[in-house]
Amino acid sequence: MNQVPIHLVVNGEDYRLFIKPNSVLLDVLREDLELTGTKEGCGLGKCGACTVLLDGRPVHACLTLALQVDGCEITTIEGIKEDEMHPLQEAFIEKGAIQCGFCTPGMINTAKALLDENADPSEEEIKQAIAGNLCRCTGYNKIVDAIHSCGCKREKAKGGI
Amino acid sequence: MRIRPFDFKAADSLSDALNQLDQAGSEARLLAGGTDLVLNMKKKKILPSTLISLHSIKNLEYIKEKNGMIHVGALAKHADLAINPILEKEVPILCQAVGLIGSWQVRSIGTIGGNLCNASPAADSAPPLLSLDAEVVIASLDGEKTIPLSSFFCGPAQTIIKSNEILKEIRIKKPVNPSAGCYLKLRRRKAVDISLAGVAFQAESDPTGKKLDRVRIALGGVAPTPIRVPDAEKCLMGLSVDDAFQKISMCAEKAAKAAKPIDDVRATAEYKRTIVNVFVQRSAQHVLTTLKTNRGKS
Repeated sequence: MNQVPIHLVVNGEDYRLFIKPNSVLLDVLREDLELTGTKEGCGLGKCGACTVLLDGRPVHACLTLALQVDGCEITTIEGIKEDEMHPLQEAFIEKGAIQCGFCTPGMINTAKALLDENADPSEEEIKQAIAGNLCRCTGYNKIVDAIHSCGCKREKAKGGI
Repeated sequence: MRIRPFDFKAADSLSDALNQLDQAGSEARLLAGGTDLVLNMKKKKILPSTLISLHSIKNLEYIKEKNGMIHVGALAKHADLAINPILEKEVPILCQAVGLIGSWQVRSIGTIGGNLCNASPAADSAPPLLSLDAEVVIASLDGEKTIPLSSFFCGPAQTIIKSNEILKEIRIKKPVNPSAGCYLKLRRRKAVDISLAGVAFQAESDPTGKKLDRVRIALGGVAPTPIRVPDAEKCLMGLSVDDAFQKISMCAEKAAKAAKPIDDVRATAEYKRTIVNVFVQRSAQHVLTTLKTNRGKS
């Protein structure tokens, strides 16, 4: 199959690549760009492990054809850090919200999209937002805690305390 | 999981897409959000020779109001519809229903046009749109035609759209008088599941808020296509809001009778029929109560 050109902005960097048209975004991120932080779970859009941010919104990298997002901005777990670690990453560590870690990149990406939209979400809003991210270790309480604590912290920081 | 090779073409406008579709032949498929199509290509259920992607057509994502009509571009995404201020104000039932589609990941990229054209009998966007008497605008190289959504679906995964046509827009008449709506969906689990049965109940009263001028009930997941149930609607139409409460159970029975569910992996036909009955009662109760409460406020 012929390779075709694509332009992606991943984590703020421009990439111009040649890919096969039947590549999903997940393949391009992991194989071509070697950004292996994005995980393939089910490959069918059910588990959310492959969640990346497309123009700031969570999408399944396994169900999105790479050519479909030609020219778009993609953020993966490798790109969410601010100065050092992203506050969500710190909160996940602090609250023990990581067990096997396989769902964590997708979970943090969805949580980031949520906090960018709603700086201090309620527990219910957090649960709704991460409904498409499965943690098969079932460590949901600590994950919700971590996202919640991060939201509270950010809200306080904004208040200029 | 690999996807079989295909030719990929990106259309940069609706007319470009129509031209490409015309040239590509009947084995071509249009790609909108891809949440269903790419999945089916992975599962080898759909093997298109050519994909014509609509992702670059940015002027079909609008949600706007003009002369009493709400116009929704076929490429508007569920996540945008769910929080759109015009829709939230005029037809909140639609926001409620599309907010229940799949996961946030699906709603972020999945489109309303894709949801309708995919024509799942259980598509969550269909019952509320049927209950709002929505129309769809279908474009082809010969021009455009507008048809009621009620004649759009032909069967599971089948619509009246021909292989050289594209769904361009969904039109909803803005309610003039006090109105209320409610969409209820039964799932095996609370989040991210296909609807087992969905009920949309939308009612509009006269200007005083006392009499029901328009009642629409639409069902999803309980027939080969999403359907309206006119016999059930007639039970309440023309009644005063207060009297309508007495007729809810009769209305629900008629709706359950009109449903044509089948036994499948998700539930038995009998169970789905029971759910229709219960959900029509609950949604009717909610809508009538809302109309009554709002009348008190004004």
